[in-house]
Amino acid sequence: MTGDLVQILEGNTFVVSDRRGDIEASSTDPTGLFSFDTRCLSRWVLTVNGQRLTPLSTDDLQYFETRFFLVPGTGTVYVDAKLSVIRERSVGEGFHEELTILNHDDAAIDLDVRIDVGCDFADLFEVKDALAKKGTYETRVEDNQIMLGYRRDTFFRATRITASEPAQVDERGLTFSAKIEPHGRWTTDLDVVVVIAGYNESRDDPTHESDSKKRHPSLAKGLDRWIDHAPQLESTDDALRQTYRRSLVDLAALRFSTRTMPNRYLPAAGLPWFMTIFGRDSIFTSLQALPFMSELAATTLLTLGERQGSRIDDFRDEDPGRILHEMRFGEMTAFEERPHSPYYGCADATPLYVVLLDEYERWTGDHKLVRELEYPARAALNWIDEYANLQGNGYIAYKRRNEETGLENQCWKDSWDSISYRDGTLPGFPRATCELQGYAYDAKVRGARLARTVWHDPEFADKLEKEAADLKRRFNRDYWLPDDEYYAVALDADGRQVDALTSNIGHLLWSGIVDRSKAKSVVRHLMGPRLFSGWGIRTMAEGEGRYNPIGYHVGTVWPFDNSFIAWGLRNYGFKEEAAVVAEGILDAAEFFEGRLPEAFGGYLRSTTKYPVQYPTACSPQAWSTGAPLLLLRTMLGLEPAGENLIIDPSLPASVGRIELLDIPGRWGRVDAFGRGRVDTTKLKSRRR
Amino acid sequence: MPATETAAPAATGAAARFFTELGRSGRLPQLGTVSGTIRFDIVDGSDVERWYVTLAKGDVSVSQNDRESDASARAERALFDGIASGRVNVVAAMLRGLVEVDGDLGLLMVFQKLFPGPPRAGDTER
Repeated sequence: MTGDLVQILEGNTFVVSDRRGDIEASSTDPTGLFSFDTRCLSRWVLTVNGQRLTPLSTDDLQYFETRFFLVPGTGTVYVDAKLSVIRERSVGEGFHEELTILNHDDAAIDLDVRIDVGCDFADLFEVKDALAKKGTYETRVEDNQIMLGYRRDTFFRATRITASEPAQVDERGLTFSAKIEPHGRWTTDLDVVVVIAGYNESRDDPTHESDSKKRHPSLAKGLDRWIDHAPQLESTDDALRQTYRRSLVDLAALRFSTRTMPNRYLPAAGLPWFMTIFGRDSIFTSLQALPFMSELAATTLLTLGERQGSRIDDFRDEDPGRILHEMRFGEMTAFEERPHSPYYGCADATPLYVVLLDEYERWTGDHKLVRELEYPARAALNWIDEYANLQGNGYIAYKRRNEETGLENQCWKDSWDSISYRDGTLPGFPRATCELQGYAYDAKVRGARLARTVWHDPEFADKLEKEAADLKRRFNRDYWLPDDEYYAVALDADGRQVDALTSNIGHLLWSGIVDRSKAKSVVRHLMGPRLFSGWGIRTMAEGEGRYNPIGYHVGTVWPFDNSFIAWGLRNYGFKEEAAVVAEGILDAAEFFEGRLPEAFGGYLRSTTKYPVQYPTACSPQAWSTGAPLLLLRTMLGLEPAGENLIIDPSLPASVGRIELLDIPGRWGRVDAFGRGRVDTTKLKSRRR
Repeated sequence: MPATETAAPAATGAAARFFTELGRSGRLPQLGTVSGTIRFDIVDGSDVERWYVTLAKGDVSVSQNDRESDASARAERALFDGIASGRVNVVAAMLRGLVEVDGDLGLLMVFQKLFPGPPRAGDTER
């Protein structure tokens, strides 16, 4: 997202407009009011006496409300500063805008105030992929109200715009004749309500206005409470404090709740494209945030467990026990032109579900929830061996059954060219990427622990432990490239090693599947000049056939990826290397005012001096927002051990002093202190 | 057994089979975290066949006797027969406006996984 758009959101409803508060969307442009994965307003343009306005300032009051201060005219010199225009906008189920015009003059004034409206009702997928609409549009004009509608068979979406002041309404907008006394003001409320066929279409909805106003105090209080409940960070490093606060506020904004899961908040993946349930992203973000706010993990586990696959459905790539990939509510999903109702084509979320459940127990000791989720956890473990063993060799592999609209790459690097041999050729399917085996190993080890300590099923625990040990032994034999001393990124359909050097090997450290004797070589590659850019570890090593420093998964640096690799480095005792990675990513965050993008370019730090944001990266993106949190955990060496929290800091010298106060968990609340002692410059120069 | 025998309209066909079997299924651990009652209205001309499904943390009971409900879903019989046999995906149908829903949509989203998947070639299970 570009920086000059204003985004306010609540649940899966959000608005993207320009700095004046106007929306002028084209078919491929992401501005508009979006709700339930549909654009419900694509034109919203304010003029006063036929003139557009110029922004003086924009206040993001909270993530769900914005105030625009404007003056008439569009030049650099304000010809008429005798008027001020204020648009105060807040999002609920639709949005509410209070439009106020102040007359600073000694004379009364008559104004034509006009709001142009329009809507293309594009499905988010259509905006993303620039597709054409198949239905028909209709517009209904009433007193002070205009209804924009879109119909395709029984599918119907509409947007109703109502003004509190008398307006002349035509099919393209509302015009107000405002007479303002000297030093007086004129105000109208504008309500934009989203109507969905089969849900709220037939209801009278006059209560919306008061509804949307009522909602805000609780939203505001919710944000305060959210920040108060999180541990407090004290540091001599101002930038780190800013990044931490930004992360907390953005995570609050990305909490996602809809009428399909009332009173639940789980992390959505990112704005604007990914304001929905994503299995993988919600799990990774919950893992990152666990030491800070464990309730995200609880709601993620509950919600994904309840929506776990229950049957075989090729169109949705669904299997019993599989954790969903993505849920969407738009037109293309409705007509099964996309399989997202929900779509299950994702090979990592299922083992990661068990990993998150165990990590949640280690932090919170919440046995009640772990017992309640025994069924989905067992079904997830069963999926690994029963449904994911597509090559018949005991490894998780993926191959979409929905050949038309399913996902080819069902690992986190889900773009088409992410998995390749060193020479750039692409392997066939099924593919068994290496990190999936790490997650499966970790799921079995952790599942065994839960079976022994919470579910009281020692036989199941024994079985899982045996399977885990066997998997680790085979993996270290089958994936290891002995000449290069790292793990293949995947096994192809013939069981052959796919040999490109990638960041995937870092996730193996996190999962614990790496033989101790091989860890040093893996770390040498991760921190070596082909993978480490100075800002972080690239998704693919420089020198590989498909390497491109601004290729989505073939050379860019992903903060989320790095945060898990840093955790893995710590797990294998490479504390100083973990500190180097943490420092690079946190330094990069400073350039984005604490809001890390999804990815930035893999250029060498010493060449560009600043991190180059990936061109179309989403921001805020949940697992980038979570990355600084996990890096804090990693640097402070926070690790639950029974009823205690172990604190073993290893901080880069540049960070100075850190105090993380009131870390919640089964121990109550404890504080962690650390001082930067790792000389990262020494370590970095040694690596070159 | 739940009181399905008190059904007023003739409760035969795919919908009746689906709900009757559901009532006999006993414990459904895959619904272990949810509780609430859903009312299903199956519309057939001027007749409405009504079923209540009560979920209580994995225990299920089915009835045609009036009771309070937390969510409701209403569909034409032909469509519901398609849903109950796996030929129609209920979530997609809901989004097309063919299943009219109200109340706690979360409950409905969880319940939907009890409907069978689409018939597959060589599938012996269903």
